[in-house]
Amino acid sequence: MSVNTGGVQGRGQFWPWLLLLPLAAYLLVFFVVPLVDVAIMSVTEPELSLDNYAKVLTGSLYRKVFINTFATAGLVAVCCLLVGYPLAYLMAHSSDRTALLILLLVTMSFWTSFLVRTYAWMVLLGNQGPVIWLMETIGVADPPHLLFTRFSSTLAMVHILAPYMIMNIYTVMKKIDPALVKSAESLGARGFSVFRHVYLPLTAPGIANGLVLVFVICLGFYVTPVLLGSPREQMIAGLIGHQIEEFLAFGLGSAMAMVLLAITMVILAVYHRRFGLDRLWG
Amino acid sequence: MNRLMKAIGFVVVCFIAAPLVIVVPMSFSDARSLQFPPPGYWLGYYEAYFTDMSWLRPTWNSILIASATTVLTMILVVPATFALVRHKFYGKSVANVMMLMPMAVPHIVMAVGYYSYFGQMRLVHTHLGVILAHSCLSVPIAFLVLSANLKGFDRTLERAAQSLGASPMRTFIHVTLPILRPGLLISALFAFIQSFDETVVAIFISGRDAETLPRKMFDSIRQEADPVIAVISTLLFVVVLIGLLTPYLVKALRGRLRKTNAGSEAPPAALAPQE
Repeated sequence: MSVNTGGVQGRGQFWPWLLLLPLAAYLLVFFVVPLVDVAIMSVTEPELSLDNYAKVLTGSLYRKVFINTFATAGLVAVCCLLVGYPLAYLMAHSSDRTALLILLLVTMSFWTSFLVRTYAWMVLLGNQGPVIWLMETIGVADPPHLLFTRFSSTLAMVHILAPYMIMNIYTVMKKIDPALVKSAESLGARGFSVFRHVYLPLTAPGIANGLVLVFVICLGFYVTPVLLGSPREQMIAGLIGHQIEEFLAFGLGSAMAMVLLAITMVILAVYHRRFGLDRLWG
Repeated sequence: MNRLMKAIGFVVVCFIAAPLVIVVPMSFSDARSLQFPPPGYWLGYYEAYFTDMSWLRPTWNSILIASATTVLTMILVVPATFALVRHKFYGKSVANVMMLMPMAVPHIVMAVGYYSYFGQMRLVHTHLGVILAHSCLSVPIAFLVLSANLKGFDRTLERAAQSLGASPMRTFIHVTLPILRPGLLISALFAFIQSFDETVVAIFISGRDAETLPRKMFDSIRQEADPVIAVISTLLFVVVLIGLLTPYLVKALRGRLRKTNAGSEAPPAALAPQE
């Protein structure tokens, strides 16, 4: 408070809160209260008890779905890294023109709605789609069924979330001083060794950012797994939607939502303490 | 290492581009279902989209809802961002995290909350309900963009205006706002897109009366995979492409203008696409 920020009204405690008040009130009424409503429903529907949580945390169906969700989110995050790292590298080490073109493509993909990209993968992997057609052309006798499997939903999610990873890694790569790599080489380090001991550690913050972001988004993903995934291998968000829409089981749905929320918040809180939340989205 | 990395990178470029490339020819296909390569080409599905009210109404709803959301979000976010960037006060870090919260909570959780809460308030299946929900979800992105712009603001300009006798209000209107205009515009654009693309909450609360385009697309994909979706996807690509290229074109155009009548025009504010 002793620091004079030199503002128009830079000093008092009163002004900033007055400016914040409308938004704070709005978020309280239309964001916090609905969340509290979910929390209340999870222990009052259909009656006041913790039965919903007991079911969600111990029932074998729910355990299967939670494990499946974690496994998928982890797999998608790792795949995004494997896919995103080389692309970010290509961008960071190409001429400005090439880099700009690739950046335009990635940005375009990023800005295209999840639904459109999910639909595109339906076309690509469909029974009459180009991938099957290509397989038949090169002589695969009995092409496998690709759509509505774990494979198709994972692939589409990797495609949808890869831009988050690419942007995070690319930002870090652009800041690496090429002299560091050169000096490692001049000291006798070779190709992979330079990468392993100099380049990779320098990009680690971008990798960590990207992994956390992709993992967290993937945990709560609804649209793509529901449209492209196997109905027998649901993820949490899909199951929550199912409980609400089909069975009107608000208690169970809310309890699952609270568990999903708690897991997400724990991951983000750990991240926030180490790096700061506003860095996550670049 | 270098070459291997770049080779894989090139393959990934194809992977990223494939879905964007495939949908465009599909929209001109005359096949009844998803079939590639298309058996023939026509514009029939474009005609179908532009004449079918069951597609046009959700499109209009989405535009309406996203516009209202943008206005409401900006009214709330602009003063709050000024408070958070320019002032030091007790509880600031908590307020900062609160602004980002709607981005951190999974949308499916909010969907359950709104479905029940707005149900009690009779706001389910109304435009107002979707607007109120979307305004919460648009707060973080609008705030992040605007605060990044505001942090880079050179405040000596404001001080100069005030030392020349301008009142705080005058300074704000004639100095602060014009300089901040690109940041405000991009921030508003992000809020608009956030609402226009939002799917999960809209699926649960928009219902038939306030049905948004993403909800209609979701239902259509789930049921029959109507080829009209390829048309909409193509149109959305074009909109995104125009949106991305405009800043570059404006920049190039202004650059050329500046060469012809040197010195008369102020240099354009950098409007490179964020992210």
